[in-house]
Order: sequence, then C-alpha cells, then structure tokens
Amino acid sequence: MKTAMKLALSALALCALPVQSPAQELRMTVWTGNDAHLKMLNGIAAGFIAKHPGVTVKFETVPVADYTQKLTFQVAGGNAPDIAWMMEDAAPAFENAGLLMDIGPTLKATEGYSFEDFSEPAMALWQKDGKIYGVPFSTSPFLIYYNKDMFDKAGLEDPNQLAAKGEWNMQKFQDVAKKVTEANPGKWGFEFKDGEGYASRMTHALLPPVRAYGGDLWANGQCGLDKPEAVAAIKQLHDMVFKDKSIVPPGEQGDYFSGNSAMTVNQISRASKMPEAGFKWGIAPLPSGPAGEAPVIGQAALTVFASGKNTELAAQLVAEMTSKDNVAVMAQFFPPARKSVLESDAFVNSNKLIPPEQMKSVAAAIVNGRVHPSHEHVPQIFAAMAPRVDALWRADADVEEALKGVCAAIQPLL
Amino acid sequence: MTARRTEIVYRICWTIALLLLAVPFIFPFLWMISGGFKSTTEIFGAPTLIPRVWRFENFVEVFTYQPFARQYFNSLYIAATVTVLTLFIASLAGYALARIRFAGAGLLMLFLVMALMVPEEVTIIPNFFLIRAMGLIDTHWPLILLPVFGPQGVVATFLMRQFFLALPKELEDAGKMDGLSRFGVWLKIALPMSRPALAAVAIITFLHSWNLFLEPLIFLSSLEKFTLPLALSNFNDSYGLPLWNLQLAATSLAVVPILIIYLIAQRQIIESFALSGVKG
Amino acid sequence: MAGSPSRDNAAHSARAPWLTLKTREMLEAWLFVSPTFIGFLIFFLGPLVAIFYYSTTEWNLLSQQATFVGLRNFENALLENPDFWHVVRNSVIFALGLVPLNMALALSLALALSRPFFGVVFFRTVFFAPVVTSAIAWAIVWKFMLQGQGGAVNQMLAWIGIDGPNWLREPNWAMAAVIVTRVIKMVGLNMILYIAALQSIPRDYEEAATLEGASRWQVFRMITWPLLAPTTLVIMVLTTIGSFKVFDHIYQMTGGGPENGTLVLAFYIYQQGFKFFNVGYAAALALIMFAIVMVLTLAQVMLRRRDME
Repeated sequence: MKTAMKLALSALALCALPVQSPAQELRMTVWTGNDAHLKMLNGIAAGFIAKHPGVTVKFETVPVADYTQKLTFQVAGGNAPDIAWMMEDAAPAFENAGLLMDIGPTLKATEGYSFEDFSEPAMALWQKDGKIYGVPFSTSPFLIYYNKDMFDKAGLEDPNQLAAKGEWNMQKFQDVAKKVTEANPGKWGFEFKDGEGYASRMTHALLPPVRAYGGDLWANGQCGLDKPEAVAAIKQLHDMVFKDKSIVPPGEQGDYFSGNSAMTVNQISRASKMPEAGFKWGIAPLPSGPAGEAPVIGQAALTVFASGKNTELAAQLVAEMTSKDNVAVMAQFFPPARKSVLESDAFVNSNKLIPPEQMKSVAAAIVNGRVHPSHEHVPQIFAAMAPRVDALWRADADVEEALKGVCAAIQPLL
Repeated sequence: MTARRTEIVYRICWTIALLLLAVPFIFPFLWMISGGFKSTTEIFGAPTLIPRVWRFENFVEVFTYQPFARQYFNSLYIAATVTVLTLFIASLAGYALARIRFAGAGLLMLFLVMALMVPEEVTIIPNFFLIRAMGLIDTHWPLILLPVFGPQGVVATFLMRQFFLALPKELEDAGKMDGLSRFGVWLKIALPMSRPALAAVAIITFLHSWNLFLEPLIFLSSLEKFTLPLALSNFNDSYGLPLWNLQLAATSLAVVPILIIYLIAQRQIIESFALSGVKG
Repeated sequence: MAGSPSRDNAAHSARAPWLTLKTREMLEAWLFVSPTFIGFLIFFLGPLVAIFYYSTTEWNLLSQQATFVGLRNFENALLENPDFWHVVRNSVIFALGLVPLNMALALSLALALSRPFFGVVFFRTVFFAPVVTSAIAWAIVWKFMLQGQGGAVNQMLAWIGIDGPNWLREPNWAMAAVIVTRVIKMVGLNMILYIAALQSIPRDYEEAATLEGASRWQVFRMITWPLLAPTTLVIMVLTTIGSFKVFDHIYQMTGGGPENGTLVLAFYIYQQGFKFFNVGYAAALALIMFAIVMVLTLAQVMLRRRDME
C-alpha cells in the first residue's frame, strides 16, 4: 500500500518539476537548419563569447513552415527566447503586444556601430516613435532564377541578356515562358516561389507582377487586389497558367531545382541549392511592368524579447551580429541592409556561386525594393484569403470577380 | 454436387474481389518505400513502382536534414514511459473498480465514461494553459501526462476492470488468508494472472502514443524535441520546400519497423484492438 | 471474512487498528483509484469547467489579456461568422460520407472473413494494417499518390481510360478523397469488431434456418443482422465520434483547403485557437463540438433503444 502511494506520489512530484536552463545562456531562434548557415552563425557567436566569458549562445532551429506559430507558443508559454529571428509579416503583432524591447540605446552606445549606415527603407518596419525594435538581418530581394540550358534549347536569350537590353518586362516574360515550355516538352516555363504559389506562398506568387503593374496587395488599410492594376497583372498570370500552360499549375510539381521548370522566383539564400542542380543557371532581376521596375524584398530582423532574463546582453549580441564586419560575413546568404556593405566590392564578390555583375542587380534591388506589406493580423488575413485565392486558380475562374471576393474577405481585417 | 460447385465458384469470386479490394490497403506501403528510394527528378517524373535508379543516400540524408535519430528516440522513450505509467495506474484503478465495492464508485465510472466520449480537441485549449502554468511548454511532459490521464488512460482502466471482473476470486482470497495486504494481492496475485490484458493495454497504449499528433504539434517547438509524426509532417528543407523523397524515406523508416512487428504479432495486436473496442 | 475482523486486524495490526473493515476497504479503494482520479480532475474535469469560462472571454494568446464578453463568441459563431456554418456543413458531410461507408465495408469484410478459409489470415492482416500505421504517415503517402498529374492514383485510372481529377485541388473531390482514404485507414478496426461479434453468434441458428430453406440474404436479414445490433450501435457511436475528431488526417492531406472545402470542426478549432490565437472563440467552438458529440451519442443510443423495443 505504502509503496503504491509512494510510487504514485513521486510520479506526480516528478511531473511538477520545471525544466530550467542555466543563466547566462542566450537562446536565439532561427528558421534555418542548414549546416552552412548555422556554422556561420556559430562563428559569429564565437566572437561574442570571446568578449564575454561565461556566456553561451544557442541557436535553436524552429521549422520554417510554422515558425511564427511556434515562436508565439514559446512566448505565450513563458519560454521566450532571448533573441528571435523575426519575419517581416509577424513583426507588427509582436510589436503591438509590447513584447519586443527597444534596443536603440544599446545599439547607439555600441562603439563603431554607426546606426545611420542602415538604409532608410530597410529600417521602416522596425522603427516606431523613435524606438528600435529590430535590426534587419536579411534584406533579401526576390530574383528570377533561370535554367540556362532550357533557354539554350529553345534558342532564346536568357533573362539577363534581355535585362541588359532593357527588354525584360512582363510581356517578354510571358512570351519566353511560353516558348521555352514549347521547346521543352513535359516541363514548364515558370514555377512560383518554392512551388508553393498556390499554398503557403500565395502572396509571393501574386506580389511581384502586381507591383510591376503599379498595384499592391493592400496599402493604408485598403485592399488593393481588386484595383485595375492588380486585376490586369493577375489576369496575365492566370492566362499563363491556363491558356499558355507555361506556369506549373495547381497541384503539380515542376521543381525548378530538379530541372523541371525554366524559371522561378526566389531569394539569394537558395543559391546554396544550385551546385547540386546539374544545369547551367543564372539570376536576373524581376521583369518590369507598366509601372517600371518594382523589386520586392523579403525581410527578417533580429529582435530581443523584453521578457528575457538577459535583455541587455541579448541586445549587445544583436549589436555584435549586425556590426559592419559581421554583416559583411553574412552577406553571402543574407543580404545586408548596411549601405557601406552594399556598395562595397566585398559584397559583390561575397557569393562564390553568383558572378559579380549578377550580384550588382541584387544590390540594386535591395536599395530600391519594397518589402511585402505587413499587418498585425497577417495570419487571419492569409487564412481569409486562402480559400478565395484557391477559387481564383481554377481554369474557368473570372479573375476580376474572384479578386473582388478576396478583397471582400480581407477588407474587414485591414 | 452442384451446390458444392456453386460454393467453389462463390469462394473464388470472393477471393478475387477481396484481392482487388486489398490493393488500396497494400499499395500505399509499397509506393511509400519505392518513393523513398527515388531521386528528386524521378519523383516528379512519370511514376514507376520500381525506381529506375535506387538512391540509398535518401536514407542517410534523412538524418542530416533533421535530428531524425533523436526524434526517433523521443518517440520511443515517450511511448515506453506512457505505456509503463498507464499499465501501473490503469491496473490499480481497474482492480479497485472490479474488486472493491466502495462509495463513489458509480459516480467515478460515470465520469470516466464521459472522459471517454469527449474528444481531446475540446479540452486541449485549457490544457495548454494548464501546461503553461506548470512551465512545461516545449517539454515532453504534456505528451506523457495527457495520454496517461486522458481518454486513452480511461480505455486502459476499463479494459483492466473488465479483465479483473472475469478473473476467479478464489486465488486472491487465499492470498488474503495468507496475510497479504490488498496491495500485495494486486501485485503478487492479480497482476501475474492478467498478463493477456496487460499486453493488450500495452499494445494499444504504445501505438496511441507513437502516433500522437495534436499534442506534439501544440506543445513542441524545438526540432530536437519533436516526435516522429511531427518530424514527418515537417519534412521540408530549410526553406520550407516539400522534400517528397526524403519525406517518404523518413516515413518508411517510421512505419516499416511497426509493420514488421505487426506482421509477427498480428494475432495478438488485432485481438488487443478488438478488446479495446468492445470494452463496454 | 466479514466475521473475523480480529484476525484481519492481526494481519495488519501495524497499520490502522482503529478503522473498521468497511472504512478501510473504502480508503484502500480510493488510494487505488487516486492516481486516475486526480489526473482526471486535473487534466479533464478542470479543463472542461474552465472551457465554459474561456468561452465567455475575448483572449489573445500574445497579449495575454482576457476580457469578459458574455455570449459574444457564441453569437459570432452561430449568427455572424459565415465560416462557422460552412465548417459544420463540412463536418456533417464528412460524417455522413464516412460512417455509412466505413460500416458497410467493415460488415462486408467481416462477413467474408469471419469463417476460416485459405488466405483468411492474410486478408485480415492486410485490411487491419493501416490501423496500426500513423495517420500522418498514411496521409503523407496518399497526398503523394493523389497528385493531379503524375500521381499514382491517376496513373492507374489512366490505364482503364479514366482521366482522374486534380484530387486535392477541387473542393468536392478533396472531400471525397479525404473520406475514402480515412475509411481505408480505419475500416480494419470496425471489421475486427464485427468479426468478433459474428464469431460469437451460435452457428446452429443459421444452420437451422438454412435447412428450412432460407436464402443467404434471408439468413443475414432475419438472424445475423438483428443479433449484431448491439455491436452495430457501439461501432456507430464510436465511428461517428471519431469522424468529428478527425484532425491529423486533414492537417496533413489538405490543411482544410481547397477553398475551405475540407475545413472540419476539429481543424477549425485548432486554427482559431493555435494559429490565430483567438482563445475565447476557439473555446466557444470547442463547447459547441462537445454539445454536438454528446447529442449525437445520446440520440443514437435512444434511437437504438426504441428500435429494439
């Protein structure tokens, strides 16, 4: 009897033991589990640890698919990391909830940091009322990746050559996509970002052409998808999917990285996948449209959680990681927002996989680009959008009506 | 004679129909294993059951893309812990409910039946806050506590009670005469006799924990704490792209050992489920 | 035993000599059930009560502030939010598709496999195999096989000249696909329950009927089916509840899409509570789900009882 009780009680007592982490350990959540990325991050952290004996830095990988959700669970669970890699679309929700620390004072007190060096547009999302809630860590433009072999087979000029001649626009884009599809049976001309254009990256599929036509997903609390510019842009995409059949249609796999699509849109960090691809490739700017060039940027920043135990130390680590030297180191994967680094030869030569002249278009896109629109209720907005965007991607869809439906669904949330 | 012949024809027809019907039950396993050996290029190309090129590296890469070995171990040790705890607690309670007439037993049974009916999705939200208050978010504790004390634990309790009810009392009475305490009778006499029931409970409890998904999804956020189902559903590369061939390779690694055990012990396993379904 | 408290006490003299046998029995019993009971209070009854409170608040997980809003969440679900009724409709369609299909298939298989014949073990093993497989693994493989072009299913359909749809991209096909793959996953469980029930029916009944010239169908209709009634009820209740609980299958195969075509109640609760962090609204949904499951269970039990009288 007693034994039973003891066993039961000790089982219950065990359950109540909280799990504690040692003090002076800084935890930072990142979405990447890529070895090369983690090695670089740990290298930078080593420099910081050398200056602060007794401190350890731990990078925790949280899978990218549910990154923001999992981060929220950690925060709500009282287990917030000290530093988080924060995606642009999640920033306003955390900021408005008062969870992020103003790291401005620490940054400005750091010797040789020169905060003014960060490009103004890149900082827009992370500053409010003179307070600084994050430092852009990756300001990564959307680019066209193309399969040179497939273009050669079709006897076409590649996007870079067209861009050099000033002919790389939406019309030409549709044109070459169609021709390259015809010349490569069983393959496609274009794949949306990561092949997820109809699912998790639906806005990444729509945004570049809409911007090129002079529209936006939403701006100033107004849905922009039912405006004439957006409708024209998306009609063109719709034609490419269902009339030209040059874009990988919904539910199909046409993976660019395995050589099944001639073009895709992606960011510079994906270049690390290219050496194993087995075909000749290159990167080019996004095609321009009636509104001229409209580069699109995806952004992430380092933020410090106000609830952490070592907020000051964490802020110092952020300062260290975004110092001039370290930003230059990271530029190979995560393009910088520091003007001095962007303009340097070091940046243009930083990525061994990408020729310098192509890196220049990356730098140009960072300076001129605009980030994906953000909002406090992004998860809800995306959830409201998703079913209506699904309706848009049917062969017989009335694009204009479908987009009106999208706007009707998200307007109340904006 | 004609009746005999009709019977044979009838049998053959049935067998052919059953064989056809078996296709959607067997084929997914074969397709999973074959997909696990394919290259990315082949997986997007025209499908064949036998891979044109066998790519064994997939099964190595599974372990470098995620801490898959660690995740595998997590699932194993959590399922084992849940099973042991459930066996202990459920057999204790089941024994008392079967053998002792005590005030409140009826009410308790009623409550437990209710717990059986209510889906986990209903109580998961308050449980999230409870686990948070205990400081156990992103630990394995909720994956142990909730199944042990949740509906699955109740199923186990009912199974044990049912079994004890059917056991002859005489041996236990003899034990009592010999001066054994109630606990002693349970431990030394009742438990050893209930091996079949314990095995049944162990099998269904282990599999339930092994396949648990909602709780890990909500409570875990660090990759190295993931359990298998969560790890499988997360088989995207570090940029979020689905990696079909690796995902299928990992799924094979998770499913095939269980299938082999099932094939060896299929009679016992099927009977365990039959018991749990008719528990009363 | 009852008449010999002294001897019993002698055996346990060190323990509790002042307790009567009855009290001690009760104490022992409660000690035995206490782990189960305490766990039940903490992880089931407490949360079940708490959810009534949660459902009357507006609560965002991030800001961690709960504001009392009365029945606002229920109004929102039942009267204002069009998604809610869409979700209920989906859940009902899912149940109406899954339960009859599952039970009919389970019974047919059981009738075919309840008597020994060559290969019976093989077939039972095969039809039950998906039950022991993780739902996530099952959904991963089927999602892979159901791709519009290049998917194994459409490839096979093409052999017999059928141009298969883009299964998981069209709302109605997606719902059908989710139901059928779920039935294949779970039918084995009901099958073995039916087999167990069939094997417990004395063979004499059926043999007697056959001798009297009853056809197979008549034997089944007049003898087997009525004798299976209690099993059928249990299976119906469990399968219906199971169909309202389905989560991992939907999560992995369709994520509730396309066009919210497979957004069912369990997934909607998860989405509201743990994706958008609308804790109060999700709690209200959970209570509604609780009510639906309870009503369905009671209704089926009562219907059955009336039938039998």
